[in-house]
Amino acid sequence: MIPLLVCDDSNMARKQLIRALPAEWPVTLSQATNGEEALALIRQGQGQVMLLDLTMPVLDGYQTLAALRAEGLSSQVIVVSGDVQEEAVRRVRELGALAFIKKPADPEILRQTLIELGLFNPQGTPAAQAQAVALSDLKVSFRDALREVSNVAMGRAAALLAKVLGVFVQLPVPQVNIFEVSELHMTLLDAQRGERFSAICQGFIGEAIAGEALLLFHDSEVEDMARLLGWQPKNEAQTSEMLLDLASILIGACLAGIAEQLDLRFSQGHPQLLGQHASLDQIIQVNRQRWRKTLAVEISYSLEGHAIHFDLLLLFTEDSIKRLTAKIGYLME
Amino acid sequence: MPAQIDIKEVHWLLDIVQCIDVGVVVLDRQYRVEVWNAFMENHSGLGPDQVQGRSLFELFPDIDRPWLERKVESVVQLGTRAFSLWQQRPYLMRFKSYQPITGQADFMYQNVTLLPLAGQPVEHVCLVIYDMTAAAVAAQP
Repeated sequence: MIPLLVCDDSNMARKQLIRALPAEWPVTLSQATNGEEALALIRQGQGQVMLLDLTMPVLDGYQTLAALRAEGLSSQVIVVSGDVQEEAVRRVRELGALAFIKKPADPEILRQTLIELGLFNPQGTPAAQAQAVALSDLKVSFRDALREVSNVAMGRAAALLAKVLGVFVQLPVPQVNIFEVSELHMTLLDAQRGERFSAICQGFIGEAIAGEALLLFHDSEVEDMARLLGWQPKNEAQTSEMLLDLASILIGACLAGIAEQLDLRFSQGHPQLLGQHASLDQIIQVNRQRWRKTLAVEISYSLEGHAIHFDLLLLFTEDSIKRLTAKIGYLME
Repeated sequence: MPAQIDIKEVHWLLDIVQCIDVGVVVLDRQYRVEVWNAFMENHSGLGPDQVQGRSLFELFPDIDRPWLERKVESVVQLGTRAFSLWQQRPYLMRFKSYQPITGQADFMYQNVTLLPLAGQPVEHVCLVIYDMTAAAVAAQP
């Protein structure tokens, strides 16, 4: 039996991955929710092979690979990640990962990869009851599921952004929360008081799951962004268009990623420039009569080596939560 | 739309694309026109036989070429939609206002959506052109 370690902060992601393992692969399975836990298990000999996520709290995938190397621990690592930037693939390979599989892992690709690496021999004896036990123990909550879906979607958007800007995009774990609408400003961006923003918003709806995508640009960073893109905006309208184009790429890719995983299609309205050089209070004029609660997915992209951040918020209407739960249900099982 | 479309429905869909009050243009990678619906024909005065296979830039020399190329390239390379709004850029191609009595604008304000059409790599891009004149006039102080 091979000691196999699955390391991912999302219960749903671990569940999907364990399900995708070849059923006849003889392994003893351990799980970790971040790199620190993974390292502890590997030190105890429970991670001869590790399937490792990149975007995690405490100790992320890159840091885990670096720590393995620094400590001289031996573990054969396959990275399974939603962060599909070419640079991410290059970096994890440089840090010693044997292979890179994009999320959600396709069972056939996983199988082929394991065979090619000599970790799994399909002619071997059928075994492995451990997986079934692990699966029934893993409870997936709605928030966990939506976070993981968003994680995969934001990874795709980041890959496009990286391509357009020629940079490496740093991805945090997305936040999923249900807010009273009145709490929205305070809760989301409290730390950024006093800053000036420009914001683009775009409505979306698919199978009656509706909401608004809101992309916030920090005004102080817009000039740097233009330089990265190689644009020289000559006036306000051209600056707005640049933001609009960037927003369309990020919002479009993120929504497409979510739609694909949930098996639906979103209609998108025309984007709108909500405000320029305004405070958040001025930008987000919430319709408090109509909206009471909102389900918010918050993704903060930052560009490595540049002081540039984007905050992407997907704000779902209250009515959508039930439908979204139903749609996501099969992923949670 | 139903997954299976029979031939009658294809005719309906073509009729709808023809009659709908938005412009539909399909361009190939050389910016040559492949589809040109009735909205485009009526507002430009150019019939499908006059535009078919001809470059959009040749037909409308006023179009800001580097600007449109940048948008289209991004749609092709990334497979995501792009948009142009009348607030930033009043129109893609200049169409005269067609309401001589009540019209308060000299030209048609336009929003444009650029869609990648199925294909890997993307070989065709669809431009959808919306008449935003009413909104633009209403927004004027």
